[in-house]
Amino acid sequence: MSMPDRLAATEDSLNALTGHESRLFEPLLALLPVDGLSISTFGHILAAETISASDAQSFRLDELQFDLGEGPCWDALETAKPVLEPDIRERPNHVWPAFSEAIIAENFGALFAFPLMLGPLRIGAIDLYTNQPYRLGEQDIQHVEILATVVSRMVLNRALRLSESDLVGEADTATRRAFSRREIHQATGMVLAQLGIPAADAFLVIQGHAFAAGRSMLDISSEIIDRRLSFAVNEQQIEGSHD
Amino acid sequence: MIDSTREDRLIDTFATLADTLVADYDVVDLLQTLVERCADVFDIAAAGILLADADGELEVIASTSEASRLVEVMQLSARAGPCVESFTTGSVVSLPDVEDSPPEWQRFRDSAREQGFAAVFAIPLRLRETTIGALNLLSSVPGALPPQDVRAAQALADVATIGILQERTLRESMSVREQLTNALTSRVVIEQAKGVLAHSRGISMEEAFTVLRTYARTNRLLLSRVAQGLVEQTLVI
Repeated sequence: MSMPDRLAATEDSLNALTGHESRLFEPLLALLPVDGLSISTFGHILAAETISASDAQSFRLDELQFDLGEGPCWDALETAKPVLEPDIRERPNHVWPAFSEAIIAENFGALFAFPLMLGPLRIGAIDLYTNQPYRLGEQDIQHVEILATVVSRMVLNRALRLSESDLVGEADTATRRAFSRREIHQATGMVLAQLGIPAADAFLVIQGHAFAAGRSMLDISSEIIDRRLSFAVNEQQIEGSHD
Repeated sequence: MIDSTREDRLIDTFATLADTLVADYDVVDLLQTLVERCADVFDIAAAGILLADADGELEVIASTSEASRLVEVMQLSARAGPCVESFTTGSVVSLPDVEDSPPEWQRFRDSAREQGFAAVFAIPLRLRETTIGALNLLSSVPGALPPQDVRAAQALADVATIGILQERTLRESMSVREQLTNALTSRVVIEQAKGVLAHSRGISMEEAFTVLRTYARTNRLLLSRVAQGLVEQTLVI
């Protein structure tokens, strides 16, 4: 299979795992030249949790970073960029006071962390490792970035599904529900134009933002329509901002 | 120049709609034309068409104004009011004075009163035994609709039904349910497109709809196509 085909096939395999998110590592591990990987959520929106891990060592890597509150995955999410450590033990690009110390005893050659984001929402990270030092190629980096978006969407959907919160649903009375949809669609249009993303993602951004803020989608949509809330693109980073 | 009589306007309306139905047309655009003509022909303040979605909930698909408060009064009518009554019974429901609303229509009555609507009429969109939605006429003055107006309104509602159900049958065989879902989905895309325009041009949702429709007309494009292009960001207007 050609590389673009393999990438597309991996995307399909990921999407097919809806409802089985603990297996999300499988298609990624099959595509990428790494020994193990994990997908986790943390940060302001979702609780710190490993969603999917290929092995105990990946799981341990997440756990360490959660416990210590530092490490590549935190930096990746903070900077909205991948953190690449081709030789974490001998030639680290960055030294974390506690994390670097903690992994001395662990068998890691290279560590890579990619942020999970959707629009302005910072969701978590994908952590990958190899046992020996290894430099990820440009193409692999690009692929992980593309696949991270697919994973972000799925992980956020999973969280919203599990929350069963009527805040994110369009509860209220059925009247409000039907009426509110219109405004949610209008707000979706505004957000997709602000961020240059597909409508389905813009909807998810509103939903995720409502979830994070503990408010209803209708509330958030009204703010967007009234231009009290906008998701402006600042350089490479995207932030939700209130006027 | 003489004022055209109401009969002339009615005939003109049917002619316009008939012209539309023979060509490739857009269901939301057709219904939009229809509600606007209704307001004109019956000399009323506002009109709207609501369709039942897959859950049987009535949703506004076209209205003379995009103002959210008008949409809201129609949605309330669709919850507990003349609109849902017409939809469930499949018959015309006349409310010549909103003050005569039964207690269970209180929220609708309050909203109608607040918007300055004194009389409301709901005409079912029927296909044989099935009712797919309702046409709502809202008047700022109290009083019954004359019998000939009720007949004319029912005829226009029938045209709307044909328009909604015929659109897809021309090309694909789709169930009534699928066609309704399709019509409602194209409304969703139009709402999203309004959002895109509201953002890119810094205008209101109401202005955005006018821009959208004018662009489609001027360029002889289907409203839903233009909306889709905007949402997919393949078209910039």
